Amino acid sequence: MTTDLVVAPILVALTTAVLTLLSRRWTRLQQAVSLLGITAYAVVVAALAARVFPGTTLAYQLGDWVAPFGISLVADPLSGFMLALTAVVSVPTLAYSVRSVDDRGQRLSYHALFHFMVAGVSGAFLTGDLFNLFVWFEVMLMASYVLVVYHGDEAATGSAFTYLVLNLVGSAVMLLGVGGLYAVTGTLNMADMARRLAHAQQWNVDPAPVVGIAALLFAVFALKAGIAPFQFWVPPAYEAAPTPVSAMLAGVMKKVGVYAIIRLYFTVLAPMDLALGYGFGTGAVGILGPALLVMAAASIGVGALGAIDGDTLEELLAYSSVSQIGFIVLPIAVGAAVPDVRVLAVAAALVYALNHALAKSGLFLLAGTIREATGTTRFHELGGLAGHTPVVATAFVVGAFALIGIPPLTGFFGKLLVFDVTVQAGAGPALGIALVGAVLTIAYLSRAWTRGFWGQPTPAVSHPRVDTTLLTASAALIAAIIVLGIAFDPVYSAALDAAHAAVEPRAYVDVVLGPDAWTEHPGSDTA
Amino acid sequence: MTEVVLAIVLGVLFATGTFLILRRDLVRVVWGVTIISQAANVYLITMGEIRGQVPIIGHGVEDPGTVTDPLVQALVLTAIVIGFATTAFALVLTYRVYEEHGTLDLDDVEARP
Repeated sequence: MTTDLVVAPILVALTTAVLTLLSRRWTRLQQAVSLLGITAYAVVVAALAARVFPGTTLAYQLGDWVAPFGISLVADPLSGFMLALTAVVSVPTLAYSVRSVDDRGQRLSYHALFHFMVAGVSGAFLTGDLFNLFVWFEVMLMASYVLVVYHGDEAATGSAFTYLVLNLVGSAVMLLGVGGLYAVTGTLNMADMARRLAHAQQWNVDPAPVVGIAALLFAVFALKAGIAPFQFWVPPAYEAAPTPVSAMLAGVMKKVGVYAIIRLYFTVLAPMDLALGYGFGTGAVGILGPALLVMAAASIGVGALGAIDGDTLEELLAYSSVSQIGFIVLPIAVGAAVPDVRVLAVAAALVYALNHALAKSGLFLLAGTIREATGTTRFHELGGLAGHTPVVATAFVVGAFALIGIPPLTGFFGKLLVFDVTVQAGAGPALGIALVGAVLTIAYLSRAWTRGFWGQPTPAVSHPRVDTTLLTASAALIAAIIVLGIAFDPVYSAALDAAHAAVEPRAYVDVVLGPDAWTEHPGSDTA
Repeated sequence: MTEVVLAIVLGVLFATGTFLILRRDLVRVVWGVTIISQAANVYLITMGEIRGQVPIIGHGVEDPGTVTDPLVQALVLTAIVIGFATTAFALVLTYRVYEEHGTLDLDDVEARP
């Protein structure tokens, strides 16, 4: 009974999706069901978070099959943190959609797809089974393929096709990785895999192939997260998608890739003991450090340069999210290379991810609000927004400050923790990358501000019709940045709890497989 | 022996799939993706160590001997169903690209803003 809560977020989202399909003939009812459903989702996630923080792990065995033979769903503080992030972003985004997506689109399938996407994301965060992770990825992606082309004009279908093909190839590669890990370790259950790799000899597992196979999975997760060199699908897809969908893609779906990297490498693969040689350290994590550092640096650079060159507000924000994902994975790279700072590193990545989710989704929604009000988001057609739409401009500047990292917003603590991790680890190059990235962030955001918000009002801006509902939904996310920034203490301790849960697989394994499972092996007394 | 043959088949499938994905014709790209995802399924099957014994264990048999792993076949069934849905969607999207752009040549699709 107590662990039933683990499966609740997925069930709520799936049920709501079906109900919105059943009620599609009555638009108002459908919207009410949809909004009620996402609120219920948030409540269930809050209840689950209350159970798992500060340091409880709950396991739910689907169909009561004993782990590792069935599929396990596991809620630990890391999953709790990611689910909370999803809930906080989804509620205002759906409220925004009810207003911004046209009636026909909503009636057709928008609400169902939105909730299927939320279900897929929640499943990916909760599952404790590698193949099941693949399935939830597909659920999430299938909904997102359709949502990206939702308002489809010509350019949108072209971009969506690229997005689709890239992710389908990614899915095939993920299958290769999952199959390979199964062939090597003989299990798909993440907890079982972690303990088999930790005691490789007793379990008769050869850990060497795992390093390469894990790299395949890493490439897939990097593709989902949009880390360079897998970033090129990001700007076209975000520009093609309707505003609230871009907000979900940037705010929530990218973080699924980041979560999967943390879960696979730190919970499942980190206990592995295998000297790599060539100065790479130990186990699969030894490769992750240097590889991710280079990729983070490339993301920060490529994204920021693209953002400086952006013609529209959306393009700038899309490239900016490539750059910001670099900041999120930079501490993970440092933590992979220096085990002493790993907990702090994961906490820094999570805080930064939360800040990015709130700020970027908020800014995307604001960009949509500006488009509705003035009919354009091209910089050369905008100007003087600050004078004509003061509330929008204020919200925008708060969001921009959060990305830059001005106290007391969450972004300040995110940046501070990233710098702290690099300094504590003595990682000079990483610190340099973060500093250059921070300066570039200021550059592209101040360019957006001076071109769009200051200066002479253009004809498009002179008579803006700002929609209050849209503005309220966007401002709610921006307000969350301020509130969580001022009351940062609980956020930080939650991130630390999540980080502890992520890097200490022993507790995770014992909850999923039963007490003392960590030390059991074939031939031991208890097995 | 079976596994050597399957390894060669896998190599050919992945090569064909990759070749098709790099074409300019959208329909060929979809074919390529389909072939690659089928190749991944064949690969999954080979991961179950094909030993020629069906995994049916008689009642009361203590030592079933070496059997083929049935789990990968369950995984492949799931993957096939997912692949079916994504292929269907890819073809529908291809048709819509054709309707909107009047062409299936990727170079022309990207040239229009």
